[in-house]
Amino acid sequence: MSAVLETSGLGKAYRRTWALRDCTLAIPQGHVVGLVGPNGAGKTTLLQLATGQLMPTRGTISVLGAPPAVSPAQLARVGFVAQETPVYARLRVADHLRLGAWLNPGWDGELAQRRIGQLGLDPRQRAGALSGGQRAQLALTMALAKRPELLLLDEPVASLDPLARREFLRVLMEAVAEHATSVVLSSHLIADLERVCDYLIVLVASEVRVAGEVSELLATHRRLSGPRRDPGTLPAGQDPIEQSHTDKQTTLLIRTREPVHDPAWTVTPVSLEELALAYMNPANDTPARRPRLGVAS
Amino acid sequence: MIRLSWLQFRPQAVTAVAALAAFAVLLAVTGPRLASRYAASGLSRCHGGSCGSVAIAFLSQLQATSTYPVVYLLGLALIIFAPAIIGIFWGAPLIARELETRTSILAWTQSITRTRWLVVKLTLTGLAAMAVTEALSLMYAWWDDPIGKAIDLGGSTSLLRGGRFSSLDFATGGITPLGYAAFAFALGTVAGALIRRTVPAMAVTLVIFAAAQVAMPLWVRPHLIAPDRTTAAIGPVPGDSQAVGLDYGNLSAIAVPGQPGAWIISSGAINPAGQQVSTLPAACAGAAGAKADNPGQCLNSQGYRETISYEPASRYWPLQGIETGIFLGLALGLAGCCCWRLNRRRS
Repeated sequence: MSAVLETSGLGKAYRRTWALRDCTLAIPQGHVVGLVGPNGAGKTTLLQLATGQLMPTRGTISVLGAPPAVSPAQLARVGFVAQETPVYARLRVADHLRLGAWLNPGWDGELAQRRIGQLGLDPRQRAGALSGGQRAQLALTMALAKRPELLLLDEPVASLDPLARREFLRVLMEAVAEHATSVVLSSHLIADLERVCDYLIVLVASEVRVAGEVSELLATHRRLSGPRRDPGTLPAGQDPIEQSHTDKQTTLLIRTREPVHDPAWTVTPVSLEELALAYMNPANDTPARRPRLGVAS
Repeated sequence: MIRLSWLQFRPQAVTAVAALAAFAVLLAVTGPRLASRYAASGLSRCHGGSCGSVAIAFLSQLQATSTYPVVYLLGLALIIFAPAIIGIFWGAPLIARELETRTSILAWTQSITRTRWLVVKLTLTGLAAMAVTEALSLMYAWWDDPIGKAIDLGGSTSLLRGGRFSSLDFATGGITPLGYAAFAFALGTVAGALIRRTVPAMAVTLVIFAAAQVAMPLWVRPHLIAPDRTTAAIGPVPGDSQAVGLDYGNLSAIAVPGQPGAWIISSGAINPAGQQVSTLPAACAGAAGAKADNPGQCLNSQGYRETISYEPASRYWPLQGIETGIFLGLALGLAGCCCWRLNRRRS
């Protein structure tokens, strides 16, 4: 499995503060990857490093097998939608499509025109007069019409209202299905991404807490509830991720590859959101329980 | 990328063309009348010593009008301030505005390296800056031609004076506007790239450029080519055309004998003992502070001589070339620094 994004010991410091520190991960090809983590986990920094907006202070990063932004050809392979979805306020929508065509040899003008038409954007309108949702759609259209092999989106829906958010993700998923593009979306809210991603990476403080295909993660995590019990007595192969206890009862979120046979437990499946939150919760961060990376690097 | 740069630069280009057109109309309306005044003044037909007084009369008449002094000053001011305006409004926002509005992210994630992005933007806008400033200068030179000729013939008034080596004329005529424009523009761009905010970058550009504009004539230009030196008899002395006339206030030379149109960098009187003096000696000052009938002749008979260091008129173009080259070199250096910064900083 080749990686679309691979980092090793990657770090970025501003003066003395580390925005990202010693981050090692590998994102496999052909997925819509949700990169989830609390604010300050280093998601934006990671994506800026991946697009060559920033240079690493330490470590290495490779995107589609090459250093980011080293050449026009490499730049052409990666599409990026930044958090602020910046557009040139003074230029018209049509100007943006023209500049996309000028600056990208692989520009798909037909696709761009069609999307603008479907979105109902007036090509003569100045981009500065667009709503937040429309601006995000324009930025996405520009990234898609580049026809990139990898599309990176930094908190793309954070500033959108729920309707615009759904519309944005729908457009994104259509395009991804059409062109088989690998996608990485970052968000601090798993709920934003739950509907669209098939691969999840939870990043907390520059560190990958869990990574894997969504279906496999859901299949290997269970919520157990039963009479109060010390999690240390769990059989081998059942790793507790999160635990809570009352006087009489214990509730655990465990990771296991085996079916749970103990009749004392009531076993229920977990949602992706519960799972991500459990891994993000700082109270659950004990080094011994950190899983190895889900992906070969 | 050229087309994107043009798309972004178009509003500024329209403003510049409009300003040039307005200036051209002003000069075209007043210029021909100025030329016919010159033709009527008889300056083109004067000979030798009579020219000075004719030129003074011509310039005095001009200065007494309501139009010509205004156009004269407006033109000079426009050419002097154009580079600073360009540096502030074209240079400073060029990168800073993109960084502020984050559109740099959009630009730099297209299939184009940021070096190319920058080089094209700098070249297009920089050449436009140079073209606009030089166009102002050339149009003004056409209009100013009669005044310049009259000054060369020895005319001067309180306003219309100085000649082409004067600080203002040298920086607004010839090819120096090219250098000033390129430098101011590159300075603004670099300030924007380093400070990353438009308004502070504008302020820094203005301060540094103004300092450069003042420093150049005061401390740099006189040293660009080692000046010639001469020592001359002090006049007027009947029959000695090589004797030099003085400004008796500080005993500085008015002109260099045998070197019409030369640029006097420094001059002073030397007494027979070889010491420099800057005030009229008592023997020549006349009674009760009143000047003697001919202090020049008096100084001459007392054994005083005038020493002058100057650049001959023939060095006008070499000096223009060197000064322009300095500013173009600085502009290129700043552009390189800008490029290095954008590639290195990456944030």
